[in-house]
Amino acid sequence: MDFRRIEAIFLIVFFSLDIFLFLSFRNSQQLVSSSSTNTSTVTEMRKRNISFGTLDTKNGSAYYLGSQPDNSLAQNVNKLRNQEVQYDETSRKLTSSLNSTIAVTTGDRQKVMDKFIKKDSNVLFGSDYKYAPQLSTTSQMVYVGTSKLGEIYDKTCQLTFTIESGRVVSYTQTHVKSMIILHESQTIKSEKEVITNLYANSEIPNNSRISYANLAYTKLLVAKNSTIYIPVWFVTIRNKDSKVSSIKKVNAFTGNIIKNSANGDNGYNAQ
Amino acid sequence: MKFSRLIIQILLVIAVITSIVLSFFIWTNTARYQRGRNIDVTSTQSNKNEVPINQVISATSVIWHDGQDQKLIYNSNDNIALSIQKIMQDWKIDSPKLVSKKDGAYYQKVIQSRDVIQLVYPTSVSTSILGYLLNNNSLRNDKSYSFNRILINLKDKKDNNIYLANDSNYAVYKAPVRNATSKPISKLIKKSNINLKIRLNIMKHGVFTFYTEPIKLKSYSYVVSSKDDGEYTTALFDSNTNGLVTSEDNGVYTYNYGESKRLVSDHNSGKLSFEDYTDTSVPKTQLAFLQRGYQKVVNLQNSISNLRLYSSNWKEKNLVFREYVEGFPIFKKSEFGSIKIKFSRKGSTEHFLNKVLEVPVPSDQASTKLKSTSDIFKGLEKSGYSPNDVQDIEVGYQWESEADNEKVVDLKPTYYIKIENHWKPYSDWANETAEDE
Repeated sequence: MDFRRIEAIFLIVFFSLDIFLFLSFRNSQQLVSSSSTNTSTVTEMRKRNISFGTLDTKNGSAYYLGSQPDNSLAQNVNKLRNQEVQYDETSRKLTSSLNSTIAVTTGDRQKVMDKFIKKDSNVLFGSDYKYAPQLSTTSQMVYVGTSKLGEIYDKTCQLTFTIESGRVVSYTQTHVKSMIILHESQTIKSEKEVITNLYANSEIPNNSRISYANLAYTKLLVAKNSTIYIPVWFVTIRNKDSKVSSIKKVNAFTGNIIKNSANGDNGYNAQ
Repeated sequence: MKFSRLIIQILLVIAVITSIVLSFFIWTNTARYQRGRNIDVTSTQSNKNEVPINQVISATSVIWHDGQDQKLIYNSNDNIALSIQKIMQDWKIDSPKLVSKKDGAYYQKVIQSRDVIQLVYPTSVSTSILGYLLNNNSLRNDKSYSFNRILINLKDKKDNNIYLANDSNYAVYKAPVRNATSKPISKLIKKSNINLKIRLNIMKHGVFTFYTEPIKLKSYSYVVSSKDDGEYTTALFDSNTNGLVTSEDNGVYTYNYGESKRLVSDHNSGKLSFEDYTDTSVPKTQLAFLQRGYQKVVNLQNSISNLRLYSSNWKEKNLVFREYVEGFPIFKKSEFGSIKIKFSRKGSTEHFLNKVLEVPVPSDQASTKLKSTSDIFKGLEKSGYSPNDVQDIEVGYQWESEADNEKVVDLKPTYYIKIENHWKPYSDWANETAEDE
């Protein structure tokens, strides 16, 4: 056997080895890409004309919070001026109609009302609240409660102004003075997990925009005279054709979609 | 003639180089290749809203020696053990080596050393399991050792090791660590809001945690959840419930799925047991043992964020899981904790309780002050139990259901003592309360 023959055989052997190695290399690459199915969901959503900003993939952590019933509104009601006030003992809700209504436009209403609530004689504990445009409508301005641990999107801690023909005429208010942490922090679902999950459950229609995704605490249940709050993702979806917005709620601990029950109360299902 | 030969030679050189380059890529890529496969497995799990396995199998108590006293520490807002575990995921831990074995005096010195933080597991785990939980492939594939304490010295800058200690044979292992700093751990220690002075004593039946002073512990309340038998049968009988045979006797319901599976649900006590005669393979490695146990637990219960691995018996293929609150185990009215799983060649068996802690609610009960551990031992001696009879002693929470509210359960702290293989609260053994007046 001469040396040239050996060279030719070697060449064939090495080429076939190269082909084999290349194929197995490609295989391993495919395995890696197949595991990231979430990215493909995102591209699929884009294809269906669902628009949204970049989704946060970070898993944060949150708590179970509890609050005792408090009468802070009733105790301070005499501080309020230039309004007629009613207080409902059972729902702990303050209803007030303003003696002098306030003129607002859609453009400046946040600025005007932010200034209004700062004053203690206008609204009690006004600095505890923050404007939430995604919960508001043209006839209602909703301010949500804030705390060190996060915002509260719930009827038990909310300030709602009613607007009639361009003037703020009245408001209702509920308040929670302090929240206590009931359990060590737990990891919660990330924004991306929640939105891909909503999409997978056909909760996001085609041709729509995800305008807000907020994490906030909301009432879960009342036990032993205390209200228990859990973190919930509030995802606002706006239909691009009809311009109608709807809010989907997702339990941030479990990732379960919370369906609204008929009476407007949170139908809670822990699973 | 010569020219064609040159081409062949050049092509040969190219082919050889390409094969070397490709093999290099494949070699360096194996880690990624394997991890990709792991992600495949875990992503299907996370879709089901599950608690990760490294939370279920984790250290439950953290002990810190601040230079003067040894203390059991806890942060009720943020689990210290889980946070340290997360920090350790970034560490490069090399293979452990044996330092000493069966030397009780040396062992006591090690577990009482100053400036050391220790993570204590309720049961012994192996280094390969730790490697799996920390995503550390070299530790996972190395020779495996059993241990139940991880010790980290936070002050000694020259000591770049973590130590693993095993209470059952007094073995101490040393594993070199790179890429680690103690700062984040020191920060966690500062944030702790429960500090209880303790002393670790070696007794006849193992290492016991002695609370040197009376301890004040909070009471807790939880909303409990439970499931109907139908939900268990769909989960356990693989959704096909057509061939189901049901019988009832005095509140004890039995569901048979052919000859292969059986669920017995006692509605009086809330205890259930499930036997699967088709599940006849016995796990071959300790890691597979725990992974299969974890899968079974996840399949059984929806809310397992409080559940921890409490004991694993590799010889008898037994696993016990228990619910924990603030680092202390909860003792319910059962002999087996919350879930007990047994693998055997005849099939697997699962014992479990229907009621599971779900949502914490503020407790309206005052804190309880418990006696120091040595006072408890004195009390036991008065009732005729010598310290050598005590197989285990633990501060745990007693499950007390409220008469008027079935949905809410109160958890009250007390001492639990294991004598003659039975766990009972102190008051049952000694006829007096464990509370300090």
